[in-house]
Amino acid sequence: MEIDALRQRLKEIVGEDYVLSSSVDLMLYGYDAYLEMSRPDVVVIPENTEQVSQIVRLACEEGIPVTARGSATSLSGGPVPLKGGIVIHFSRMNRILEIDTVNKRARVEPGVITLDLQTAVAKKGLQYAPDPASQKTSTMGGNVGENSGGPHCLKYGVTTNHTMGLKIVLYDGEVVDTGGKAPDRPGYDLTGLLVGSEGTLGIVTEITVRLIEQPEAIKTLLGIFETIEDASNTVSAIIAEGIVPATLEMMDRLVIKAVEESVHAGYPQDAEAVLIIELDGLKDGMERISDRIIKICLANKVREVKVAKDEAERNTLWTGRRGAFGAVSRLRPNYMVCDGTVPRTKLPEVLRKVTEIGREYNLPIGNVFHAGDGNLHPLILFDCRDEEETARVREAGTKILRLCVDAGGTISGEHGIGLEKLHEMSFIFSQDDIAAMWKLKNAFDPVGGFNPGKVLPPLAS
Amino acid sequence: MNIVQLKKLQYEEVAKCTRCGFCLPNCPTYAVRRNEASTPRGRNAITRAVIEGRLELSADLAEAIFTCLGCGACTKACFPAVNTKDLVFSDRSCLTEVHANPKIFEKLSEALNEYHNISEDDNEDRAEWQEYLKDVPGEFLEKDHADIVYFVGCVASFFPMAQKIPADFATIMYHAGLDFTILGGDEWCCGFPLIGAGMPEKVTELKNHNVEKLKSVGAKKAVFSCPSCLHTWKHLYDTDIELLHASQLLRDLVSQNKLDLKPLELKVTYHDPCDLGRNTGVFEEPREVIKSIPGIELVELPNNRNMSVCCGGGGNVEMVAPDLSAAIAQRKIEEILSTGANTVISSCQQCLRTIVTSARRQNIELNAMDLTQLVMKSLSQK
Ligand SMILES: Cc1cc2nc3c(=O)[nH]c(=O)nc-3n(C[C@H](O)[C@H](O)[C@H](O)COP(=O)(O)OP(=O)(O)OC[C@H]3O[C@@H](n4cnc5c(N)ncnc54)[C@H](O)[C@@H]3O)c2cc1C
Ligand code: SF4
Ligand code: SF4
Repeated sequence: MEIDALRQRLKEIVGEDYVLSSSVDLMLYGYDAYLEMSRPDVVVIPENTEQVSQIVRLACEEGIPVTARGSATSLSGGPVPLKGGIVIHFSRMNRILEIDTVNKRARVEPGVITLDLQTAVAKKGLQYAPDPASQKTSTMGGNVGENSGGPHCLKYGVTTNHTMGLKIVLYDGEVVDTGGKAPDRPGYDLTGLLVGSEGTLGIVTEITVRLIEQPEAIKTLLGIFETIEDASNTVSAIIAEGIVPATLEMMDRLVIKAVEESVHAGYPQDAEAVLIIELDGLKDGMERISDRIIKICLANKVREVKVAKDEAERNTLWTGRRGAFGAVSRLRPNYMVCDGTVPRTKLPEVLRKVTEIGREYNLPIGNVFHAGDGNLHPLILFDCRDEEETARVREAGTKILRLCVDAGGTISGEHGIGLEKLHEMSFIFSQDDIAAMWKLKNAFDPVGGFNPGKVLPPLAS
Repeated sequence: MNIVQLKKLQYEEVAKCTRCGFCLPNCPTYAVRRNEASTPRGRNAITRAVIEGRLELSADLAEAIFTCLGCGACTKACFPAVNTKDLVFSDRSCLTEVHANPKIFEKLSEALNEYHNISEDDNEDRAEWQEYLKDVPGEFLEKDHADIVYFVGCVASFFPMAQKIPADFATIMYHAGLDFTILGGDEWCCGFPLIGAGMPEKVTELKNHNVEKLKSVGAKKAVFSCPSCLHTWKHLYDTDIELLHASQLLRDLVSQNKLDLKPLELKVTYHDPCDLGRNTGVFEEPREVIKSIPGIELVELPNNRNMSVCCGGGGNVEMVAPDLSAAIAQRKIEEILSTGANTVISSCQQCLRTIVTSARRQNIELNAMDLTQLVMKSLSQK
């Protein structure tokens, strides 16, 4: 079909105003927060599942790729339309359809902003736990696409642990429900399969999530350390003692400094590392656990432990943490996040090697990460206008992920594979493993229309 | 401005944008239009693509670039603090150079050139609002020398809906015994609309004239009821005279006990104008004035101070996309109504005009007044 005819058909589905195809619009729908860019042939902004279904059916008939897009905050190229085609932007499907306080479930459209859901359920005394640092702008559809996590996932689990059911549009436009409010559905766990599939298996048009009670009490501590080693040992010791705090987040000196210059979160600029340790749960006993944690910190040579006195102080600590990626971009215009994970006990060793890689490639690297789950985020700072430097960054990034794998970890904690880490998939999967995944992909998407070029590397023939 | 100048001036600034998208929820134009071209990130991407030669400077860009309100809310959400509004204004200047700007701005510029005001009236009629004065002797207002010059601004001078503001403000200053004057027909537009129109170079003549006139009065202070005039003077004019907003002067009068404020039984909310609050840093003075009136209850808007949402009247958007401006005003009205207050106070005639016009069109009952009008109301209670 000629592109003009395609646009015309799409306009009949969603209306004139919601089909975009000027050269400017196409440029604007070719990026996310990762480096690589591309360009779709047309962008549609549908309003409901029925429209999405018609769009996908049309694309299937015409053999045109379809890429879903939320807020395009993905750090791995997820919503970048590598092979052109149609981008479906979910900005208008942003209604919270139901908050069921009795069964503790919420049903939302994929364009709902994560924080908007969290705010809405908080008014009813409930909580939606996954809290990616991008929560104020990321969409629920994007969170499902990437199986996003955040600081509190140490205790509560990531998006997949909170997703009960999805409405999905299959490759030919058919609409199916994979689950609902009830726990433990029999049959195959399609919900689990779809979460984290980065828009390569189906398009999500409705999400049912689990809500939990808000904790009765919260206590937030800031541990200030003279060395990364001491901070890492503290993390291991806390977990070894059987304590599971809600969060265990670490930041190193470079990040602390950038954050302080940007938002004045109250982190000491001369420390080598800080830990944000948050406890939540019943009031009863919290003092005791916090005392135990302080003791562990002291045993690991902490310089000082500060306790947030009120909600405002707590918020300031978290504003700093959530803004960490953005804050480092004050130092250099771009950063690349290497989202690898390692066993907690390997943290000191791996961090030391990361520093060495920074030195070897002559690149500044900052660290801010979910220390509790060993999910590293070394931030390599650079200026993408410098091609030679950018090439060095990519090499260093690959090397860091290799390092994680060699330490018994893996190549992605929560930011997905996208197009960024196709090559690194071979670090953890054999050709047979990948071939098995291709079979699954082909079963869901026999025409290869959903987000082509992502997640699975082509098989070597 | 041409692309070479744009690159020199703005490449480093726009290169700071990492496309993280944290600014998206803060942008009022995205809230309405729901497409990437209406986001700060999208506007930055356009600027960058133009600089890097990936996108041609053409009328295709005009829609995205001329619908930015210049409200600055995005920069507050942005950790590297990318100054999107300045980037957009530079883009506008580039688009103007290649004649890809909305034609309405050419007309605006011609009018300013000829009439020295935005409403194409005889500039000598600037003092028309004085008809609303009750007990201030006319000669008191146009003196050759005074301590303070009150720079009235075009909207308050010429638009009937706003003319009560200067009348009330002048009355208050008169009764407080201040030595002030206005420039009358010698006041020219400050040039603010030209910046939004992408013609900053045309501000020079207006600026030089105004500075000259102010000097000739020998004033130590200039006071403004229009936040955008104040902002333009602060950022583009080079003068060592103290520049104040009306709300700051009123706060001083309150703290010196120079105003005999009488009780008003009102529940009000306060709208922070972008150019006064976020872009100039005046947040508390208007609130202090409101709270000093006995009997008044002030409830804050859900989004206040730095997070205040633009009324829809910024960036000349009303002139090129009235539907967008109206939809943003509508959202503002909903936010105001959600507070349960029956009156909204602002410190900007342009915000009030946008809010009131939109409310009227939809038959929504909403009291809106300027801070000066609120003070006057309190002073005139028996
Ligand atoms: C500064 C910054 C901090 C971040 N912090 C974190 C963090 O702490 N934890 C974390 O996990 N991530 C983090 N991220 C990454 C990113 O924000 C998350 O991956 C987020 O979930 C993406 O949401 P989005 O709405 O932007 O989705 P997009 O980027 O638009 O899309 C992400 C993927 O989901 C797919 N998708 C989107 N909508 C649908 C749909 N309806 N159906 C099917 N597929 C869909 C897309 O095709 C794409 O593959 C961060 C990013 C930035 C820029
Ligand atoms: S302007 Fe700032 S907040 Fe917005 S995308 Fe760019 S860096 Fe992020
Ligand atoms: S200045 Fe205001 S309208 Fe313009 S991009 Fe920023 S938030 Fe949007």
